Amino acid sequence: MPSFFSPLPVFTSAILLRTTLLFYGLWQDAHSPLKYTDIDYNVFTSAASLITHHASPYDRATYRYTPLLAWLLVPTTFTGTWSLWWFSFGKVLFATGDIVAGWLIVLVLTRHRGMAMGRALRFASIWLLNPMVATISTRGSSEGLLGVLVVALLWAVMGKRIVTAGFLLGLGVHFKIYPFIYATSVVWWLDDDVVEEGGKEKGKGDGEGSGVFGTLWRFCNGARVKLAVISLLTFMGLNGLMSSIYGWPFLQHTYLHHVTRIDHRHNFSPYNTLLYLSSSSTSTPGSSSPSSSSPSSSLHLESLAFIPQLFLSAFALPLMLAKKDLPSTMLAQTFAFVTFNKVCTSQYFLWYMVFLPFYLPTSSLLAHPKLGLSAAALWIATQGLWLQQAFQLEFLGLSTFVPGLWVSSLLFFLTNAWLLGVIVSDIGSTSTSSPVSESMSKSKPKVLVK
Amino acid sequence: MRQRITFIQQPQDSVDPKSLKVTKNDISTTGLKGAREDRVTFGFEELPQELYRVLKATHELHIRWVSESPYESIVPFVSRVSPGLHVFYTPQRNSNNSSLLCPALKKVFGEIDCISPEKSFTTLPIERFSHSSATQYYTPLPYLNTFIHYLINKLCAPSKDTTACLSRAELLHSASYLDIDFDTISHALSITGFWPAQTWSLSLPTTSSNRLEVGMLSIQTPQAPEELSLGGFLTVVGEDASPSPTLFSFPARHHPTSQSFTSTFLVPSGLHPTLQLRISGSAKPVDGAACALHAHLTLPKAVFADKYQFSDSLFLASKNLSALHYISPDVDLEAPAYTVPHWGSSLLLELSPPSVKEDVEWTAEVPLHLRYLAPSEGGTQEVHIPSPVLFWACTAEEGSKFTVNPFERVDLGYEGLFGPRTMFYHLDPEPEASTIPAAERDMHGSGGGGRLVNTLEVPVLDSQKSAYVELGTAAVVMAGFAWVCWCLWRVWRRGGYGRTRVAVMEKKKQ
Repeated sequence: MPSFFSPLPVFTSAILLRTTLLFYGLWQDAHSPLKYTDIDYNVFTSAASLITHHASPYDRATYRYTPLLAWLLVPTTFTGTWSLWWFSFGKVLFATGDIVAGWLIVLVLTRHRGMAMGRALRFASIWLLNPMVATISTRGSSEGLLGVLVVALLWAVMGKRIVTAGFLLGLGVHFKIYPFIYATSVVWWLDDDVVEEGGKEKGKGDGEGSGVFGTLWRFCNGARVKLAVISLLTFMGLNGLMSSIYGWPFLQHTYLHHVTRIDHRHNFSPYNTLLYLSSSSTSTPGSSSPSSSSPSSSLHLESLAFIPQLFLSAFALPLMLAKKDLPSTMLAQTFAFVTFNKVCTSQYFLWYMVFLPFYLPTSSLLAHPKLGLSAAALWIATQGLWLQQAFQLEFLGLSTFVPGLWVSSLLFFLTNAWLLGVIVSDIGSTSTSSPVSESMSKSKPKVLVK
Repeated sequence: MRQRITFIQQPQDSVDPKSLKVTKNDISTTGLKGAREDRVTFGFEELPQELYRVLKATHELHIRWVSESPYESIVPFVSRVSPGLHVFYTPQRNSNNSSLLCPALKKVFGEIDCISPEKSFTTLPIERFSHSSATQYYTPLPYLNTFIHYLINKLCAPSKDTTACLSRAELLHSASYLDIDFDTISHALSITGFWPAQTWSLSLPTTSSNRLEVGMLSIQTPQAPEELSLGGFLTVVGEDASPSPTLFSFPARHHPTSQSFTSTFLVPSGLHPTLQLRISGSAKPVDGAACALHAHLTLPKAVFADKYQFSDSLFLASKNLSALHYISPDVDLEAPAYTVPHWGSSLLLELSPPSVKEDVEWTAEVPLHLRYLAPSEGGTQEVHIPSPVLFWACTAEEGSKFTVNPFERVDLGYEGLFGPRTMFYHLDPEPEASTIPAAERDMHGSGGGGRLVNTLEVPVLDSQKSAYVELGTAAVVMAGFAWVCWCLWRVWRRGGYGRTRVAVMEKKKQ
């Protein structure tokens, strides 16, 4: 009996799933006052229509993306007999992005992990046949586009396509900031052994001196320099172009907004309640605000939130893990970034979900089903608890901020942090389980050598 | 100072001129049934210095205050405004003294959330009708106590006839609405109060320097649909020895209807309250004319409408709405109330009555959203949303001209959004027919105890329970962080940061 897990059935099902959802969405939108289409999609498309009227996409309230996205979606504004179909162009684009990302996952797994096609497709299906992924992109959320960008980055890096990788990294950071965390892991991973193995670069430094400068010189191999230069050029080039066209609003809405804003509505982040508390005690435009006398937090710990987040996602995790397993390290980084972020909504889960197929094959979560199941149960339960509290607040008007929402967001955070620890240990043991690693001493402090 | 006092009576209550006692400096009578409008106009030089300084920097200032208690309107005083204090303000060009306005408003009306016209006011569309004001401000204000106090101290005290002034000012406690108007062209400030129908015993004295005109008018059948007709007696105290009969007609923009409405929030209101309008009828007020039913909402900043929500026709139809015609600019869709400097927003919605032959009761729903409010003890904060204004806007026949009639109110916040030939047929707002026992009414949800204000209980962070939020969050985040670091450290201790293959190659090299 031929397996379901061969390219044709898997990709046909993935495409069918998305086509069905797309058409279902069109039907629901046409017949129900409750829309299938995501509100964000209306933001993108009205920004695109502003573009066609030679206006700034930032004239649309809550458009906080690069103008590239609005440019990409210009076809959604086409008029004529096919206008209704053209309007769905963006959703088709995002769904296509999903499929391409799935294909790249398969490529990386088979070429660089030496996995058989059937097994690779099985793991790629976590992304390709995931109803959550398919729903989010067919509802018109652009997160799927990020998925294809970062997987393509991984695919390019693994295949030593340094120019492409640099371009994708620059583009990804321009698109959504957070992919900058991959710069460290990719650069760290691209050491001479990898580069030479690819046979494209010549290793430098036959004994070019030791000491700090020598080490630095040897660190800056051709691939690393090329990646840095190209990604920086792409990032700065795009930013220069966009600021020259759209000026300050581009910088304000695409970047600064995410950095400066502290008054988010409730979301999964552990910092949410704290941010509500401190934003209300610092900003009082209505001088006569009745409760401006509420106990203000004097420490402002929330302003230090970036320290654990960036230390883990952009420094410690890549440094410790990237050379052992780059794809899984990217998962760990993304997971850390989302877990420790000041804002966290369910769309952010897509950011790390795209890397799951690389990590799960060697994960203890699959090796020990009990561990895996309890991890999944905890993740769902704490999230469910939060959702239940949020429902009571949002729709029943009960003040569940403390302790309900706060405690459940902390529990969800703890679950994620625990999972992150498991992922870290798994990545660490995939290499150390190999017998040769015990003899590896060069990079290990002497004290610890047994 | 000039004064005009007008009584509007039902024809059957019409005053008998013989019962009016007119002397050189007084007019008096008893048992006069009718609604009353007082208008007092001050010259610039009669005003206290502090008001003079504010008005000198002002091009136009129109203040509309409406009581939260329902009142019965009467022709020609049928136009409606949402309960609370509305300020429509146009600063003098080339003047940067508008910073005086908010402090003056606070002094006159009491502690209100007003910083400056630039920060607290919203702009109105001025390009369409140059006669309406440039900026708008609103705040809930249940009582006029501070204003009356101010009047007594600043405007009554210097005058010779203090007792008369005092009693007239005190009368404002029971007024249903108050208008204050100033513009640079007339260089005069007028204060107008309105009281619904009741029985009056009068003695209105005057002095030679003050002109006092008293009218006692009753409603007559008009000759044309856009006209109003009044007949009765006019007396200028001091000049006229006896009341002189009069009958006059004038075209009017504002007309009554027999329809009424209630507004309530659906429960549970949550963070996305829906304002339900229950309207007693669906029939147009005038046959043949092009009429559309509109709702004008005045929303303090705690609550707002998302303009993008009103673009889908299916969604609008499901709420019995047909279009959003106007919303204040720059309504932030995410910001908490405590970071929003504006007073709030106003919006004009066109409703979609069911197209049935009979005049049936029906409902329309306006989807709104709440902002986060500052934390408070107990975890809830009350927000008071005034009842909207509902009217049919009908286009008058070609050629009809509306010169401003002597009783017309302008600058109500919505007439400037319509063309010059629009007539407004107003629906009477009624407080919610509450099912909650009267004793509990003041404590519970929307009704507001017979007032034209809806109360929303907004869930907020409970400031009594939030003491440990900062430390608790920090502790948990640190715990999570430490766990991940420990896992990393274990990895490092076992295998360093290198890759497995590196070790293999190192071996080979050796």
